[in-house]
Amino acid sequence: MESPGEDFSPDTLAFMELALEQAKLALDSLEVPVGCVIVEDGKVIASGRNRTTETRNASRHAEMEAVDVLLKDWQKNGLSKLEVAKKFSKCHLYVTCEPCIMCAAALSILGVKEVYYGCTNDKFGGCGSILPLHLGCSEPLKSDGIPQGKGFKCIRGIMASEAVSLLRTFYEQGNPNAPKPHRPLTHQATH
Amino acid sequence: MNKHTDAWQILHVPDKPPIPPGQQPTVNVLASVIEPKIANTLVRRLNQIAPLENLRHVKRVQKKYLEGGKTQLAVILCLACENDNQLDSMQHDVREIVNAYRLSAFITKVSKSAASSKEEWEEQCKLWPTSYHPPTYNIDGITGFSEEDSQLVFSFMRFAVELAKSDDGLMVNAAVIVDPSVKQVIASARDEICSWNTCNNKSSIQTSSSQQLEVCITRSISNVVTDDSLLSKASTNELGRFTGVSCLYPWRWAEQQLSSPNSCYWHPLRHAALVAIESSAARDRLLFHGSREIEDKSFDMEHKSPSTGSPAKRQKLNMKNVEDHAKLDTLAEGNSSVSARPYLCTGYDIYLVWEPCTMCAMALVHQRIRRIFYAFTNPNAGALGSVHRLQGEKSLNHHYAVFRVLLPEEVMV
Repeated sequence: MESPGEDFSPDTLAFMELALEQAKLALDSLEVPVGCVIVEDGKVIASGRNRTTETRNASRHAEMEAVDVLLKDWQKNGLSKLEVAKKFSKCHLYVTCEPCIMCAAALSILGVKEVYYGCTNDKFGGCGSILPLHLGCSEPLKSDGIPQGKGFKCIRGIMASEAVSLLRTFYEQGNPNAPKPHRPLTHQATH
Repeated sequence: MNKHTDAWQILHVPDKPPIPPGQQPTVNVLASVIEPKIANTLVRRLNQIAPLENLRHVKRVQKKYLEGGKTQLAVILCLACENDNQLDSMQHDVREIVNAYRLSAFITKVSKSAASSKEEWEEQCKLWPTSYHPPTYNIDGITGFSEEDSQLVFSFMRFAVELAKSDDGLMVNAAVIVDPSVKQVIASARDEICSWNTCNNKSSIQTSSSQQLEVCITRSISNVVTDDSLLSKASTNELGRFTGVSCLYPWRWAEQQLSSPNSCYWHPLRHAALVAIESSAARDRLLFHGSREIEDKSFDMEHKSPSTGSPAKRQKLNMKNVEDHAKLDTLAEGNSSVSARPYLCTGYDIYLVWEPCTMCAMALVHQRIRRIFYAFTNPNAGALGSVHRLQGEKSLNHHYAVFRVLLPEEVMV
């Protein structure tokens, strides 16, 4: 985690502030506190927070929640697949913690443009910590024309200490949902 | 039935990529033949002054059987210097030993890393003996399957393959989550990236038992389908049969045609594994809905038990509600899994027709699946050995065992 806050634009900080608000909502619901917002043309168009405990579905991370909101909205408005793909290619995601391997792969599948995140995710991070999925594939097309993994730009370290402190609060009160042998957890992001 | 299943095979997909014979990395060491009577003293001394720090898998002493029933011992003195075939680079105290015992040192090769499979280990021992520790985690099947367990694996895989077929001959990926302790399907799903009917949650509860699946496995069988034959077939006379498999072509969703009219939502991330996880989570909420959670509207049981009373009583009331629910009769009846709520998919297996992509494979880590069985590798995006190998990512907090199930060709028809 590098980069002190003043290196980032006021807009970037404001969007991350909104993502942190989502993370706090998760914390209030006894969820691992990770939140995000998705921004298109400088406007927040969706937000999400972790819901893994509530749903008992460990894939319901903040990013997946926000993406589902967008897909529903856009299809309600009658957008075609190609139009939706074009929309995603203009989207910026602001998330309090580095997207995990699953979410990073999902963001590559959707083809989002940029990802801004707070703290790194040393156990599961898919944007450099464990796997560098944000880099995509060096060759975008296979010889037979099959599209390969798309990359996205990653900017890290935005309000990282705030994100970590929320996670710390959560793990200090104990994760009631964790399997017994794993308690007490260390102060690491397990999103 | 056995004679029909000869072509089925289960292969463990290890944590590390297998190394072809003869291509394992080696390092040079200095060794010497020694008298058996000095072996103990010498090994103890050498372990002190020249420990084999990064070669803990390598045995210090080699025992060779010579002609006439004689044995010969050789000991590793120390590591040899890089690119150095001279023997005079030996450290001082090792040299003293060599001189004291009048040893004649020679350079030999040993394997650089510990073996990750029995085959690799046998290969290593041709150079110099090493030790081999099979994976210590206690997951059934890594050391082999019993005949009965194999038959179960085959029938669940057969079920997944049937699920993956469409009327038009095209295939998608399919996922079947199984509780092996009661041989029961917990959830099953097909890829839903082209048609996701949000109103249809009824299919979430699957109650098939292994007995119902046995009929699947009785067709006659000839040769095994390998990926080569399968994919070459796809690119020639069956072009495009597998283009609808989400995990094979995850980045192609925008080009894919809608399989049904606009009444359905589509979703680029609703790969079979994720949909199956969602179904199993829905089943979990139905069977074990606790007092604290916020209920999903589509699964609201409409029989809220009073929040007063002991947790045990509440649990009992909830179970009664579940029993009232017609669809769940079979689940509640004599099902041991009802009494203990599982943590996510702990202890469960998943059967997938194709090796999952990175997104799906990581979702299965999060959901704590115990074993993954897949039939075909996924060279485009597979995360269990093809492109990535998540079962070998040490930093992850959960590790499943991965198996590939080879199918007879007829199964795919």
